[in-house]
Amino acid sequence: MPDIAFLALSSLVIVSAIFALEARELVYGAVGLAFSLMGVAGLFILLGAEYLAMFQVSVYVGAVVVLILFTIMLVGRESGRIVEEEEPGRLGRAGIIVAGLIALAVAGAIILLVPVSPQAPELHPVALQELGLYLASSYSIALVILGLLIGATVVGALTLVRVERDEKPDGATQ
Amino acid sequence: MEPLSSYIILSAALLGIGIYGLVSKRNAIRLLFSVELIVNAANINFVAFARYSNPPMLMGWNIVFFSIAAAAMEATVGLALILVAFRLNGTIDVRRLNRLRG
Repeated sequence: MPDIAFLALSSLVIVSAIFALEARELVYGAVGLAFSLMGVAGLFILLGAEYLAMFQVSVYVGAVVVLILFTIMLVGRESGRIVEEEEPGRLGRAGIIVAGLIALAVAGAIILLVPVSPQAPELHPVALQELGLYLASSYSIALVILGLLIGATVVGALTLVRVERDEKPDGATQ
Repeated sequence: MEPLSSYIILSAALLGIGIYGLVSKRNAIRLLFSVELIVNAANINFVAFARYSNPPMLMGWNIVFFSIAAAAMEATVGLALILVAFRLNGTIDVRRLNRLRG
Protein backbone atom coordinates (compact mmCIF):
# COMPACT_ATOMS: atom_id res chain seq x y z
CA MET A 1 0.00 0.00 0.00
CA PRO A 2 1.57 3.25 -1.06
CA ASP A 3 2.02 5.62 1.78
CA ILE A 4 0.84 9.16 0.99
CA ALA A 5 3.55 10.76 3.09
CA PHE A 6 6.27 8.72 1.42
CA LEU A 7 4.98 9.55 -2.05
CA ALA A 8 4.74 13.25 -1.27
CA LEU A 9 8.19 13.42 0.32
CA SER A 10 9.92 11.42 -2.39
CA SER A 11 8.39 13.47 -5.17
CA LEU A 12 9.43 16.64 -3.29
CA VAL A 13 12.99 15.32 -3.04
CA ILE A 14 13.26 14.33 -6.70
CA VAL A 15 11.51 17.36 -8.19
CA SER A 16 13.42 19.92 -6.15
CA ALA A 17 16.72 18.11 -6.80
CA ILE A 18 16.09 18.41 -10.54
CA PHE A 19 15.05 22.04 -10.05
CA ALA A 20 18.28 22.71 -8.13
CA LEU A 21 20.34 21.60 -11.09
CA GLU A 22 18.20 23.06 -13.86
CA ALA A 23 17.02 26.42 -12.50
CA ARG A 24 18.34 29.29 -14.60
CA GLU A 25 19.20 31.42 -11.56
CA LEU A 26 21.70 29.82 -9.23
CA VAL A 27 20.01 31.36 -6.18
CA TYR A 28 16.75 29.58 -6.98
CA GLY A 29 18.79 26.43 -7.45
CA ALA A 30 20.14 26.79 -3.92
CA VAL A 31 16.59 27.17 -2.60
CA GLY A 32 15.62 24.04 -4.52
CA LEU A 33 18.52 22.20 -2.91
CA ALA A 34 17.27 23.34 0.51
CA PHE A 35 13.82 21.91 -0.23
CA SER A 36 15.32 18.64 -1.42
CA LEU A 37 17.38 18.31 1.76
CA MET A 38 14.33 19.06 3.88
CA GLY A 39 12.48 16.32 2.02
CA VAL A 40 15.27 13.94 2.96
CA ALA A 41 14.85 15.04 6.59
CA GLY A 42 11.16 14.18 6.28
CA LEU A 43 12.10 10.72 5.02
CA PHE A 44 14.31 10.31 8.08
CA ILE A 45 11.30 11.10 10.26
CA LEU A 46 9.25 8.49 8.36
CA LEU A 47 11.98 5.97 9.13
CA GLY A 48 11.87 6.88 12.81
CA ALA A 49 15.16 8.78 13.02
CA GLU A 50 13.90 12.10 14.36
CA TYR A 51 17.22 13.20 15.77
CA LEU A 52 18.89 12.66 12.40
CA ALA A 53 16.16 14.76 10.80
CA MET A 54 16.87 17.57 13.24
CA PHE A 55 20.57 17.26 12.58
CA GLN A 56 19.98 17.24 8.83
CA VAL A 57 17.84 20.38 8.92
CA SER A 58 20.18 22.30 11.20
CA VAL A 59 23.41 21.33 9.47
CA TYR A 60 22.38 21.11 5.82
CA VAL A 61 19.59 23.63 5.49
CA GLY A 62 20.86 25.88 8.26
CA ALA A 63 24.56 25.88 7.50
CA VAL A 64 25.48 24.41 4.12
CA VAL A 65 22.78 26.07 2.03
CA VAL A 66 23.36 29.43 3.71
CA LEU A 67 27.07 29.05 3.02
CA ILE A 68 26.28 28.28 -0.63
CA LEU A 69 24.03 31.36 -0.82
CA PHE A 70 26.83 33.54 0.56
CA THR A 71 29.25 32.13 -1.99
CA ILE A 72 26.79 32.78 -4.82
CA MET A 73 26.50 36.38 -3.67
CA LEU A 74 30.27 36.77 -3.46
CA VAL A 75 30.84 35.26 -6.88
CA GLY A 76 27.97 37.38 -8.16
CA ARG A 77 27.16 37.99 -11.77
CA GLU A 78 29.61 35.40 -13.03
CA SER A 79 27.34 32.55 -11.94
CA GLY A 80 24.56 33.81 -14.20
CA ARG A 81 26.84 34.11 -17.21
CA ILE A 82 27.79 30.44 -17.11
CA VAL A 83 24.13 29.49 -17.15
CA GLU A 84 23.64 31.42 -20.36
CA GLU A 85 26.64 29.78 -21.97
CA GLU A 86 25.67 26.32 -20.83
CA GLU A 87 24.75 24.29 -23.88
CA PRO A 88 22.13 21.68 -23.01
CA GLY A 89 22.76 19.58 -26.12
CA ARG A 90 25.39 16.87 -26.35
CA LEU A 91 26.72 17.14 -22.78
CA GLY A 92 23.27 17.02 -21.23
CA ARG A 93 22.25 13.97 -23.21
CA ALA A 94 25.48 12.16 -22.36
CA GLY A 95 24.93 13.05 -18.69
CA ILE A 96 21.40 11.69 -18.69
CA ILE A 97 22.48 8.43 -20.32
CA VAL A 98 25.44 7.90 -17.97
CA ALA A 99 23.45 8.78 -14.86
CA GLY A 100 20.51 6.62 -15.84
CA LEU A 101 22.73 3.61 -16.51
CA ILE A 102 24.58 3.96 -13.20
CA ALA A 103 21.39 4.48 -11.18
CA LEU A 104 19.72 1.48 -12.84
CA ALA A 105 22.75 -0.70 -12.20
CA VAL A 106 22.98 0.33 -8.53
CA ALA A 107 19.27 -0.12 -7.82
CA GLY A 108 19.12 -3.42 -9.67
CA ALA A 109 22.17 -4.79 -7.91
CA ILE A 110 20.90 -3.84 -4.47
CA ILE A 111 17.39 -5.18 -5.09
CA LEU A 112 18.77 -8.43 -6.47
CA LEU A 113 21.23 -8.86 -3.62
CA VAL A 114 18.74 -8.10 -0.85
CA PRO A 115 16.68 -11.35 -0.92
CA VAL A 116 13.07 -10.14 -0.68
CA SER A 117 12.18 -6.56 0.05
CA PRO A 118 11.54 -7.08 3.77
CA GLN A 119 8.90 -5.35 5.82
CA ALA A 120 10.12 -3.17 8.63
CA PRO A 121 10.23 -4.92 12.00
CA GLU A 122 8.58 -3.43 15.04
CA LEU A 123 10.45 -0.36 16.19
CA HIS A 124 10.70 0.16 19.90
CA PRO A 125 10.96 3.81 20.77
CA VAL A 126 14.63 4.61 21.05
CA ALA A 127 15.82 6.64 23.95
CA LEU A 128 17.99 9.48 22.73
CA GLN A 129 20.16 8.95 25.80
CA GLU A 130 20.92 5.43 24.63
CA LEU A 131 22.12 6.61 21.24
CA GLY A 132 24.11 9.38 22.89
CA LEU A 133 25.75 6.96 25.29
CA TYR A 134 26.61 4.68 22.40
CA LEU A 135 28.04 7.62 20.49
CA ALA A 136 30.13 8.70 23.46
CA SER A 137 31.40 5.23 24.38
CA SER A 138 31.81 3.00 21.32
CA TYR A 139 32.31 5.85 18.88
CA SER A 140 34.26 8.13 21.20
CA ILE A 141 37.45 8.00 19.13
CA ALA A 142 35.51 8.74 15.95
CA LEU A 143 33.84 11.63 17.74
CA VAL A 144 37.20 13.09 18.79
CA ILE A 145 38.54 12.67 15.27
CA LEU A 146 35.43 14.41 13.95
CA GLY A 147 36.13 17.35 16.24
CA LEU A 148 39.74 17.55 15.08
CA LEU A 149 38.54 17.34 11.47
CA ILE A 150 36.13 20.21 12.01
CA GLY A 151 38.91 22.31 13.50
CA ALA A 152 41.26 21.48 10.64
CA THR A 153 38.53 22.29 8.13
CA VAL A 154 37.82 25.69 9.64
CA VAL A 155 41.52 26.56 9.74
CA GLY A 156 42.01 25.29 6.21
CA ALA A 157 39.08 27.20 4.76
CA LEU A 158 40.16 30.39 6.54
CA THR A 159 43.71 30.01 5.26
CA LEU A 160 42.55 29.36 1.72
CA VAL A 161 40.43 32.46 1.64
CA ARG A 162 42.74 34.68 3.67
CA VAL A 163 46.06 34.29 1.82
CA GLU A 164 44.61 35.94 -1.24
CA ARG A 165 43.08 38.74 0.77
CA ASP A 166 46.42 39.52 2.44
CA GLU A 167 48.25 39.68 -0.85
CA LYS A 168 45.87 42.07 -2.50
CA PRO A 169 46.41 45.16 -0.31
CA ASP A 170 50.19 44.65 -0.58
CA GLY A 171 49.98 44.48 -4.34
CA ALA A 172 47.80 47.56 -4.34
CA THR A 173 50.21 49.63 -2.25
CA GLN A 174 53.37 48.63 -4.07
CA MET B 1 5.17 1.20 6.03
CA GLU B 2 6.84 1.15 2.64
CA PRO B 3 8.90 -1.83 1.54
CA LEU B 4 12.64 -1.35 1.60
CA SER B 5 12.91 -1.39 -2.19
CA SER B 6 11.04 1.89 -2.56
CA TYR B 7 13.67 3.65 -0.47
CA ILE B 8 16.41 2.02 -2.54
CA ILE B 9 14.79 3.16 -5.79
CA LEU B 10 14.40 6.70 -4.44
CA SER B 11 18.02 6.86 -3.40
CA ALA B 12 19.15 5.45 -6.76
CA ALA B 13 17.12 8.15 -8.50
CA LEU B 14 18.77 10.80 -6.35
CA LEU B 15 22.17 9.29 -7.15
CA GLY B 16 21.31 9.41 -10.85
CA ILE B 17 20.33 13.08 -10.66
CA GLY B 18 23.58 13.85 -8.86
CA ILE B 19 25.71 12.03 -11.43
CA TYR B 20 23.84 13.77 -14.25
CA GLY B 21 24.74 17.11 -12.65
CA LEU B 22 28.37 16.13 -12.22
CA VAL B 23 28.68 15.09 -15.86
CA SER B 24 26.76 17.85 -17.59
CA LYS B 25 27.08 21.04 -15.53
CA ARG B 26 29.87 23.58 -15.93
CA ASN B 27 29.26 25.77 -12.91
CA ALA B 28 31.42 24.74 -9.95
CA ILE B 29 28.67 25.56 -7.45
CA ARG B 30 26.27 23.27 -9.29
CA LEU B 31 28.86 20.50 -9.09
CA LEU B 32 28.80 21.03 -5.33
CA PHE B 33 24.99 20.70 -5.39
CA SER B 34 25.41 17.38 -7.19
CA VAL B 35 27.88 16.09 -4.61
CA GLU B 36 25.49 16.99 -1.82
CA LEU B 37 22.67 15.11 -3.58
CA ILE B 38 24.84 12.01 -3.95
CA VAL B 39 25.82 12.12 -0.27
CA ASN B 40 22.14 12.39 0.66
CA ALA B 41 21.31 9.36 -1.49
CA ALA B 42 23.89 7.37 0.46
CA ASN B 43 22.47 8.65 3.77
CA ILE B 44 18.93 7.54 2.85
CA ASN B 45 20.29 4.07 2.15
CA PHE B 46 22.09 3.95 5.49
CA VAL B 47 19.01 4.97 7.48
CA ALA B 48 16.67 2.66 5.55
CA PHE B 49 18.89 -0.41 5.85
CA ALA B 50 19.43 0.21 9.56
CA ARG B 51 15.68 0.50 10.06
CA TYR B 52 14.72 -2.56 8.01
CA SER B 53 17.20 -5.05 9.40
CA ASN B 54 15.73 -7.41 11.95
CA PRO B 55 16.12 -6.42 14.76
CA PRO B 56 16.62 -2.74 13.78
CA MET B 57 20.29 -1.82 13.97
CA LEU B 58 19.65 1.70 15.09
CA MET B 59 23.30 2.31 15.80
CA GLY B 60 23.73 2.41 12.03
CA TRP B 61 22.10 5.82 12.24
CA ASN B 62 25.20 7.14 13.96
CA ILE B 63 27.12 6.55 10.73
CA VAL B 64 24.79 9.06 9.09
CA PHE B 65 25.53 11.47 11.92
CA PHE B 66 29.22 11.35 10.97
CA SER B 67 28.40 11.45 7.27
CA ILE B 68 26.36 14.64 7.58
CA ALA B 69 29.12 16.31 9.57
CA ALA B 70 31.75 15.27 7.02
CA ALA B 71 29.60 16.49 4.13
CA ALA B 72 29.23 19.88 5.80
CA MET B 73 33.00 20.16 6.11
CA GLU B 74 33.44 19.11 2.50
CA ALA B 75 31.05 21.86 1.43
CA THR B 76 32.99 24.41 3.51
CA VAL B 77 36.33 23.59 1.92
CA GLY B 78 34.78 23.27 -1.51
CA LEU B 79 33.22 26.73 -1.31
CA ALA B 80 36.51 28.19 -0.08
CA LEU B 81 38.25 26.60 -3.07
CA ILE B 82 35.61 27.99 -5.42
CA LEU B 83 36.14 31.48 -3.98
CA VAL B 84 39.93 31.21 -4.43
CA ALA B 85 39.51 29.91 -7.98
CA PHE B 86 37.17 32.80 -8.74
CA ARG B 87 39.66 35.35 -7.41
CA LEU B 88 42.55 33.84 -9.32
CA ASN B 89 40.80 33.16 -12.62
CA GLY B 90 37.73 35.37 -12.64
CA THR B 91 35.53 32.41 -13.49
CA ILE B 92 34.05 29.32 -11.86
CA ASP B 93 33.34 27.61 -15.15
CA VAL B 94 35.06 24.27 -14.68
CA ARG B 95 35.69 23.88 -18.42
CA ARG B 96 37.85 26.98 -18.35
CA LEU B 97 39.77 26.14 -15.17
CA ASN B 98 42.26 24.12 -17.18
CA ARG B 99 45.54 25.83 -16.33
CA LEU B 100 47.00 22.56 -15.03
CA ARG B 101 46.31 20.73 -18.27
CA GLY B 102 49.51 19.40 -19.81
